[in-house]
Amino acid sequence: MTATLGRFLILASVLVSTGGAVIGFYAGRSHSPGGLRLAQRFAYAYTVLMLAATGVMEYALLTHDFSVSYVAHVGSRSTPVWVTVASLWSSLEGSILFWGCILGIYIAVATFLTRNTHREYMPDAIGVWLSCAAFFSFLIAAPANPFLSVAPVADGPGPNALLQNHILMVVHPPFLYLGYVGMTIPFGLACAALIRGRLGHSFVKPLRAALLLPWVFLTIAIMLGGWWAYEVLGWGGYWAWDPVENASLLPWLTATAALHSIVVLERRGVLKGWTITLIQSTFLLTILGTFMTRSGVFNSVHSFTQSAIGPTILVFLAAAIVFSVALLALRIDRLEAEGNFDSAVSREGMFLFNNLLFVVLTFTILIGTVFPLIVEAVKGRQMSVGRPYFDSMVVPIGALLLFLLGVGPALPWGRASASQIKRALLPPIAGAAVLFLLGFAFGARNPWTLITLAFGGYALQVTISHLRSPIMQLRRARRRFAGYIVHAAVIVVFVTIGISSTMRYTQEVHLTKGGVANVGAYSITLLGVEERQEPNRTSTLARFAVAKNGVQKTTLEPRMNQYLMMREPIGTPDVYSTIGGDFYLSVMNIDPAAQSVAVNAIITPFVGWIWIAVIVMGLGGLMALIPQRVGELRTGAEPAASDLAVGPTLGGEA
Amino acid sequence: MNRTVLFVGLFIAAAVVAILFAGLGKDPQAIDSPLIGRPAPTFALREVGTGKTINLEQLRGRPVVLNFWATWCVPCYEEHPTLVANARALQPRVQFLGVVFQDSEEKIQGFLNERGHAYPTVVDDAGKTAIAYGVGGVPETFFLDSSGTIQAKFVGPLTTELLDENLQKAIRQ
Repeated sequence: MTATLGRFLILASVLVSTGGAVIGFYAGRSHSPGGLRLAQRFAYAYTVLMLAATGVMEYALLTHDFSVSYVAHVGSRSTPVWVTVASLWSSLEGSILFWGCILGIYIAVATFLTRNTHREYMPDAIGVWLSCAAFFSFLIAAPANPFLSVAPVADGPGPNALLQNHILMVVHPPFLYLGYVGMTIPFGLACAALIRGRLGHSFVKPLRAALLLPWVFLTIAIMLGGWWAYEVLGWGGYWAWDPVENASLLPWLTATAALHSIVVLERRGVLKGWTITLIQSTFLLTILGTFMTRSGVFNSVHSFTQSAIGPTILVFLAAAIVFSVALLALRIDRLEAEGNFDSAVSREGMFLFNNLLFVVLTFTILIGTVFPLIVEAVKGRQMSVGRPYFDSMVVPIGALLLFLLGVGPALPWGRASASQIKRALLPPIAGAAVLFLLGFAFGARNPWTLITLAFGGYALQVTISHLRSPIMQLRRARRRFAGYIVHAAVIVVFVTIGISSTMRYTQEVHLTKGGVANVGAYSITLLGVEERQEPNRTSTLARFAVAKNGVQKTTLEPRMNQYLMMREPIGTPDVYSTIGGDFYLSVMNIDPAAQSVAVNAIITPFVGWIWIAVIVMGLGGLMALIPQRVGELRTGAEPAASDLAVGPTLGGEA
Repeated sequence: MNRTVLFVGLFIAAAVVAILFAGLGKDPQAIDSPLIGRPAPTFALREVGTGKTINLEQLRGRPVVLNFWATWCVPCYEEHPTLVANARALQPRVQFLGVVFQDSEEKIQGFLNERGHAYPTVVDDAGKTAIAYGVGGVPETFFLDSSGTIQAKFVGPLTTELLDENLQKAIRQ
């Protein structure tokens, strides 16, 4: 019964989204207000159907209805409720349903916020959104149907053990989906602008807001993924250049570039075609990422099991690229620039340079990610592209971007005299010197760390000087303030990555009960090794008393968990975090009978600041989203001059 | 119509789609074992139940399906009926052998009594044989040809189709 209801809702969503898309495009072509209203109703109806289908699935999961195929596949009576709820996105079919649900929410909110505005563009935008929705509904209805009826079993295996192993695994995927799926909205708006052959000033604002919100989610999601890897995988790092990590970074890079080019577009009326290309690329990269996790082509900690939906997603990706390219080729020449560039050594010149670097970075990472596939296709040989490639390519580009983060906002808009440029660029050298020397005094010797500190110090001084003025006029200059908040957080992220990745201290320790070992300023005592039996897993854990400089600080319990369905045990390291850095213990070998354990002890300076700074980035992004004037989004009115005086990444002038 | 945008865009699209298409259908987890094409590491291990020693040399002259498993591994439960059914059908032309590690003989005996058995099972007490074969987890299955050379390796639970596909590689030699 539940399975039948779910199938009915999904089939209805295929019909409604397809119908709505056709009506949207027709209304755009015929400029029909009635058609637009109808398309809006179809958009709302799609959302209701997806919410209902997701609700039905959650109900089936919570009531352990093992006659529903997905529940039989991932459900279990022994898992806690939070795991059962999160099982929705733990496996392939459920995750696509979850995708459709989030897409529905985005479409409904975007349709509602623009219900009386931008009538010129909205029919086509709704057409594009519902076309994407139709594809995902088709996926759910056919190759990835979670609502198949099966002969009920008494109990199921439960979801992937990695999902059960840490609460961050429950939070990370929804944020990632909110980021990924949300990119459909700016894509639809950008395509609508191309179809109309026009990108008016008032339409830039919703475009920017639609891009900024998923950007915030994606930013947080990437950080949560890194944090999870750090807390669970046991090697003490947070980024491994895993193909799927890269897949989440790629659209983030193009979206960040687009957020910058939008500022120049708002301010100068140029880069229209370029901004639209970046927004389209962002969406296409999210679909590429979906393909990477769900096709079974890439080997990754993230991959769902091998599945038949790979070819279907590939067809959609190909169609979306051809649609985007054709639209761009047909219309890009119609998007006339309203202004022009005065000088390369200017704020807008640096924005352009920044965009170039983001695109180079995107291509560098994309090539490194798909290179093993190229080699295997051409030479039939297996290979992998590892950390050395990515580090050697990404670190210099990253350092240049950090440098621009200082130089860009320091320079004035438009043409400036040599003395103006000198006055703008020289003072922050003091900031660069301070951070460089501080780092050197505390033992930093890696050249890239020292360069990062110098560029970070430079950018920090520029950012702080810019933060001072808008803080006085927060009401009027919220976007500018928010932009600099994000910049400040980015600087902290860069600097802490530089320090934490090169100044880490690692030591292997073997202890038996009662034994003591010194690791840097810390000393650890093994209090004992014990086994704990839980319904869904068996944990073997070692208890350590941790002291720093002779003072007792905490007890850490790194463990190995053996889940029923997993071939190999999963470790859970334990971390003692302080402002100055983390002390991290990860089990390598553990023997309860002999009361002995071998652990990897890792001291990483400042690493916790990365998580905090990224959350601040997200908050800064949200702050920049709040409309300056009430109803700004809804009225779609031409912005007042004061609205354009906005921040660096997320707005205009300093 | 901007032809530059069209051609550059379509070129990138075609390249990306072609590369991804080429990758479809391949299993990225099927990493070729360095042992493939080499003589299987020898061992002499105790058989469960009888206590007699079985060594690899004794099994030369016909293909061998060498299955590493344990009673605490759920995927091993899944593949057990497949292995037993195929062993019944294929032996004595093909020899099946189970190698259990990180387990107790009592549990293994209980498992086999409850779920049936059709071929000998040996105990890898110290896990040395598993290490010699580079076993990362259970189940893992090696397919040896009649001269004792490893021709294929499969990670994860076997189905009859997968077993046939891998066994063919060992028989062809």
